[in-house]
Amino acid sequence: MPPRSDHAAGSGAAAAATQAHFDSIDPLFHVLRVLPFSFLLPPRTRLRLPSNLALPSPMTVFSLILLTYFAVVSGLVYDVIVEPPGIGSAQDPGTGAVRPVVFLPGRVNGQYIIEGLSSGFMFLLGGIGIILLDLAVDRTRPRSLRVSFGSAGAVAVVIAYAMAMLFLRIKIPGYLW
Amino acid sequence: MAPPALDSLPAPLRSLRLKTKQQELLLRVSALALIYVLAFAVRLFSVLRYESMIHEFDPYFNYRTTLFLTENGFSEFWNWFDFESWYPLGRVVGGTLYPGLMVTAALLHRLLRALYLTVHIREVCVLTAPFFAANTTLVAYAFGREIWDSGAGLVAAALIAIVPGYISRSVAGSYDNEGVAIFALLLTFYLFVRAVNTGSLAWALASAFGYFYMVSAWGGYVFIINLVPLYVLVLLVTGRYSQRLYVAYNCMYVLGMLLAMQIRFVGFQHVQSGEHMAAMGVFFLLQVFFFLDWVKYLLNDARLFKSFLRITLTCVITIGTLALGLGTASGYISPWTGRFYSLLDPTYAKDHIPIIASVSEHQPTAWSSFMFDFHILLFLFPAGLYFCFKRLSDATIFIVMYGLTTMYFAGVMVRLILVAAPAVCLISAIAASATIKNLTTLIRTKSKSPQTTGKTTGSKAGAKGAVDQSLPFQHNAAIALLLGAFYLLSRYAIHCTWVTSEAYSSPSIVLAARGHNGGRVIFDDYREAYYWLRQNTPPDAKIMSWWDYGYQITAMGNRTVIVDNNTWNNTHIATVGRAMSSYEDEAYEIMQSLDVNYVLVVFGGVTGYSSDDINKFLWMVRIGGGVFPVIKEPDYLVNGEYRIDKGAAPKMLNCLMYKLCYYRFGELTTEYGKPPGYDRVRGVEIGNKDIKLEYLEEAFTTSNWIVRIYKVKPPKNRS
Repeated sequence: MPPRSDHAAGSGAAAAATQAHFDSIDPLFHVLRVLPFSFLLPPRTRLRLPSNLALPSPMTVFSLILLTYFAVVSGLVYDVIVEPPGIGSAQDPGTGAVRPVVFLPGRVNGQYIIEGLSSGFMFLLGGIGIILLDLAVDRTRPRSLRVSFGSAGAVAVVIAYAMAMLFLRIKIPGYLW
Repeated sequence: MAPPALDSLPAPLRSLRLKTKQQELLLRVSALALIYVLAFAVRLFSVLRYESMIHEFDPYFNYRTTLFLTENGFSEFWNWFDFESWYPLGRVVGGTLYPGLMVTAALLHRLLRALYLTVHIREVCVLTAPFFAANTTLVAYAFGREIWDSGAGLVAAALIAIVPGYISRSVAGSYDNEGVAIFALLLTFYLFVRAVNTGSLAWALASAFGYFYMVSAWGGYVFIINLVPLYVLVLLVTGRYSQRLYVAYNCMYVLGMLLAMQIRFVGFQHVQSGEHMAAMGVFFLLQVFFFLDWVKYLLNDARLFKSFLRITLTCVITIGTLALGLGTASGYISPWTGRFYSLLDPTYAKDHIPIIASVSEHQPTAWSSFMFDFHILLFLFPAGLYFCFKRLSDATIFIVMYGLTTMYFAGVMVRLILVAAPAVCLISAIAASATIKNLTTLIRTKSKSPQTTGKTTGSKAGAKGAVDQSLPFQHNAAIALLLGAFYLLSRYAIHCTWVTSEAYSSPSIVLAARGHNGGRVIFDDYREAYYWLRQNTPPDAKIMSWWDYGYQITAMGNRTVIVDNNTWNNTHIATVGRAMSSYEDEAYEIMQSLDVNYVLVVFGGVTGYSSDDINKFLWMVRIGGGVFPVIKEPDYLVNGEYRIDKGAAPKMLNCLMYKLCYYRFGELTTEYGKPPGYDRVRGVEIGNKDIKLEYLEEAFTTSNWIVRIYKVKPPKNRS
């Protein structure tokens, strides 16, 4: 029963189309009906997503996010908008010579490009240091690797904190003590 | 031995022994109580140092409206037309503000009155922000516990109590929308994450009401209505669709949207504004997901479902795109606002909207601002992200997205460090808590090991040693690292207290400086000027000033202003900017058309106050020139350089702003060894020392010359 019904419907549609074709007396209609489709062909497209397309692993995403984090805390957006120089310059009051200045003095919300990147690197180093400490606690790793991770992590955090404090004191004279 | 000793104790004392769980609970509650008090107390520097007063500019309008609300009731407040602002336009207050802050303070005031604690509404307003900051610590604890564990919750509460990024907008006296909005923001997120975790309709309903409170309090609610659908989208992409997510988002979005429409200032923006379309799109996408999931369940044939899936997705995407296109083309859906767009394209504001770029808190953020406001959280944040990625769940994915989006926005606009602060604290708390837990585990393991080794036989000891693989000096190293962690955290606390005291506890309406002997010198010129206006000018006098001081003039001087801090009419502000930038005769015509009686300018050349009108003047030129092409910025510069000395541009030396600020200043000696007319902010001697005013006369100059008021002379009789 279903196949017969489909066939009947198809026949009806074909008959209707034929009838419409014969009934029309518009000459343009006949020309447009035949002429364009003699050389225009619908494109044979077959869009298929590659089967090996898979979501990246969490740690891959985390690595990309670390880079983004470095860009943000380095003040990259500030660099794009304000367009500061890489390093500044100041005139020595005594000799009159022009001396390079790495840190923009006197403003909390201002920076040169190099000082921003340096500070951002320190923040990243501190974060990675803490991550290394966590890797050192993992018991499944060999002993020597754990010792290396632990030592590197601790040293990284200390260096990062010390340098960040140094930068901050250069930036803000009178900061704490 | 132990049991007999316990038996010998009297019964009441024996019953006082607490179980381990009870000890933990007592410790936790005590810690939370102390953190609560700390969050409140650390924000009281300005009250102790000056007095209980409202800070900054915007909070004065908020205070004035709260006063109106408590005196006249909500209906009058909702229908209030304020003719003392934006003369001659006025302002429909109920339809142009977020009432959450005012209603909250009014309710608190009413509650205190009901308890017979008779306090002035100003005291309630001053302490509203610290009170809600303390409440935010409780929400942070609950949020941290929901995401990770109760240890992380406690650390998050402690960190957020004193983080400078949050303190900057929640000190006592900073009576602004952010004071209650950050609490509402974090509460909404916590309730939503809990709804997603539990699939409970009740929690989703609670998050909808939290969202309603946020919408009523602050325009930053747009962040919530964009982050939540973005989070839902990420869960869908990563294959984490679940019935729980469906229930949580549907309830939160639909009810939240309906509730938000009750706020007149928001109105139908949820269905008509470009910023809100993402939430609607994800809502419909979620319905499609649910529908396809149901169809997949009904159809057993995988191939049939795949073709159905393709057809459905094509139809849905087509219809959605068409609807969005038609809505935008017909103007029904408004495009993104300038402020919203400038967050997505950071260079947009600089080129197109000078009034947004002119606000100092809208500037992009340098590394030192991050360091100033976050300190060691900048190290803990990436480590916290690492721990979240190690233990991915619906909740940790949310906090990661919240942290990343807010950190990016904080990089674009320095003010949004405030929104990033809770996220950074939560993620950093995860890192701190996990690290400290690791270290304490190492310490405990080591302390166990000798006993175990001593007790077991030689062969068992050897086997155990092989398995444990304990590190050399593990015990001592763990203790050292733990002490290092505590040192860093204590430095964080010291840093936060110092920053709060030195940088964030200044009312800015009362200025303080260090004298030459190290003592504190107070400049109270603003209040001096406003009280002069209140007592010495006619009640219907109109005051023209730059928009920074509009709210304060209305609230403290009780006088009508031309423009104020509600920067809703760019043309009106540009007119004032044009008047300030023009020659005196041209400015006089503008002032006559605006019916101005007095002009107020702020001048820091005597005291060294750098936030004065001369330093803001270029923005007046840019904003005025943006609307009136007759004002051109190069006219006021010399080779692109902004100068006020003898080499300054002629138009600069004769414009109204220059004349009003430096009138009679040329006779004044401000610094030892410098010539008269030495400007202590710009560090130069002014170029025009003999200023003559024709259409205005000096009415009042404050003790330290910070505020200067001029009376506009009536037009001469023409005969």
